[in-house]
Amino acid sequence: MGDAGCTVYPGKAQPRGWGKALLLTLPIALWSLFMSMRGLMQPQRAMQIASGVTAAFMIVLFYLMMKTASTYRWRRWFFVALGVLFPIGFIHNVMVLRGSMGIPIEEMIAGRTPFCFLPIPLLILPAALTKTLVFPGSILPGEGMAGGGMAMMVGLWLAITLVVGKGWCSYACFFGGIEEGMAALPKKAQWKKLDPRYRLVPWAVLLAMVLLSLALFEPAYCMWLCPFKAVSEYVAARNTVGLVQNGIFVVLFGALVIVLPLLTKKRTQCTFLCPFGAFQSIFNKTSVFDIKIDRTVCSPCVLCQKSCPTMSLSDESIKKGETLLSCMKCGACVDACPKGAAVWHIKGTPVSVKPERARLMFLYAAWATAGMFGGSIITQGLETILQRVI
Amino acid sequence: MGGAYLIGEALLLGLASGPACVASCGPVVVPSLLAEGAGWRVNGRYLTSFLGARLLGYVLFAAAAWELGALASPGPGARTLIYGGIHVLLGLALLWYAYSVGRGCAHTCAGSGLVSIGRVGKHGVPGAAVLGLLTGISLCPPFVAAGVRAAELGSLAAAILFFGVFFVATTMWFVPFVGLGCVRRNESVIFVARAAMSIVAVYYLLAGIAMLAGRKIHG
Repeated sequence: MGDAGCTVYPGKAQPRGWGKALLLTLPIALWSLFMSMRGLMQPQRAMQIASGVTAAFMIVLFYLMMKTASTYRWRRWFFVALGVLFPIGFIHNVMVLRGSMGIPIEEMIAGRTPFCFLPIPLLILPAALTKTLVFPGSILPGEGMAGGGMAMMVGLWLAITLVVGKGWCSYACFFGGIEEGMAALPKKAQWKKLDPRYRLVPWAVLLAMVLLSLALFEPAYCMWLCPFKAVSEYVAARNTVGLVQNGIFVVLFGALVIVLPLLTKKRTQCTFLCPFGAFQSIFNKTSVFDIKIDRTVCSPCVLCQKSCPTMSLSDESIKKGETLLSCMKCGACVDACPKGAAVWHIKGTPVSVKPERARLMFLYAAWATAGMFGGSIITQGLETILQRVI
Repeated sequence: MGGAYLIGEALLLGLASGPACVASCGPVVVPSLLAEGAGWRVNGRYLTSFLGARLLGYVLFAAAAWELGALASPGPGARTLIYGGIHVLLGLALLWYAYSVGRGCAHTCAGSGLVSIGRVGKHGVPGAAVLGLLTGISLCPPFVAAGVRAAELGSLAAAILFFGVFFVATTMWFVPFVGLGCVRRNESVIFVARAAMSIVAVYYLLAGIAMLAGRKIHG
């Protein structure tokens, strides 16, 4: 009687009891507290509160992931918080240190630019051919703000990337949260028909920017195309060209991070522009984790395709039982699939055999990364706000 | 003895500055080469056409450098104007190229199997040749260095010989590009190549216009 609506599909993860969920949360709770320890021991009250709130936030979200067996909606809270709080903390720091968000070219040449992971693919060819970093800074210790720290950051990025692949873009990137938040606001997408060919544009941007960076010996993407310059530090506009550069940043930010996500419910900057995302896609080949579609269960209702924020599922890929290379492992498709056909998977193992175990293993790695990178950024943003309040 | 010394000097200069030439021409060569058909032969033909036109540009510049003496090292203002003009032309040529790849007859008009971006009489002009000529006369640092040296030589023949050997030496660094023939071409690769060409073209246009307007290309 009425059981048809309660059909349990074996691939679909079921909610857990609170005890088991708490037990599974324990490692992340310890990690989050460890990450917050430094902040909690600071004398400033704002920092103590910010660190405590961040740790609690990360622990509660992970607990809810374990309890409800759904990933995307809880991860999104973290990701949006990260995206919104990053500019707050960053701009505050830049204003304190420099008095302006505008960075003059001399400052860039002097290496007084904080680390950003977006230019990493642009650094490889110039570094390989000339042993020089075209991003302001050096890999040698003591060479300015972006000096030895940069080598450490690149090393950390590589280690994490080899494990989570393009999951970096869903759990560590501090830029994607604003557009994900924007995409979450409308109930329905106004623009549903998006030409799938435009998914290839990030590869074109990557190719063009890598080659231009080698030719010009500067991180061309940062100089000309990065939309997030609009909310971090921009080129100090001292002439018409500077104004044009900043105009490009603002227009791209407005279009790809604000307007298009509202209209399409997609992460349009990540899907249609970001060259780092295209580069990061390559590492989905090295990651042991991926998402599969169990063809024996799939109807196909294409709910997974509709829910994907980066258009990483096509009719062909669903037929093949896999996602496209651009999959960010956000979990939206897994959560959306009513039959449990979209599942987390560890390469080399059969599909749909203990997918929850694959999800857990991936989430421990991804959430530890989120706590390490995102946690510190959230703390900084919260502290900036609390300093004004307390 | 003098001739051998001259050839050796041009060879060394070319070999040493080859990576800078490749880096400078990379944004033009790589996407346009990817937009051509697959295979060693097509890519070989592209590079032959590109490098042949580049040699023509070198020889023309060598002749002008020797005739006018000081042209190879023009003042900063004139150099910016020349550089800006070439940037604008390169930008337009790349946009035309990207557009031409999408046309149905693009691979047959030129007769050589290369993408054609214009017609002279009954014959199509391979885009590779146009891009080669424009990059050949672009004032990149190694090219200016060779131009200055050529302008100091005693005869036009010596200037052309110097540039010819310099060209051969820098060309060595372009040979690996034939390897792009191995990249399998499909609709996606062509789309990416065309879009990348368009992005590079817009950069060249912006930078060129800024230079022509006497502005710095940095804010």
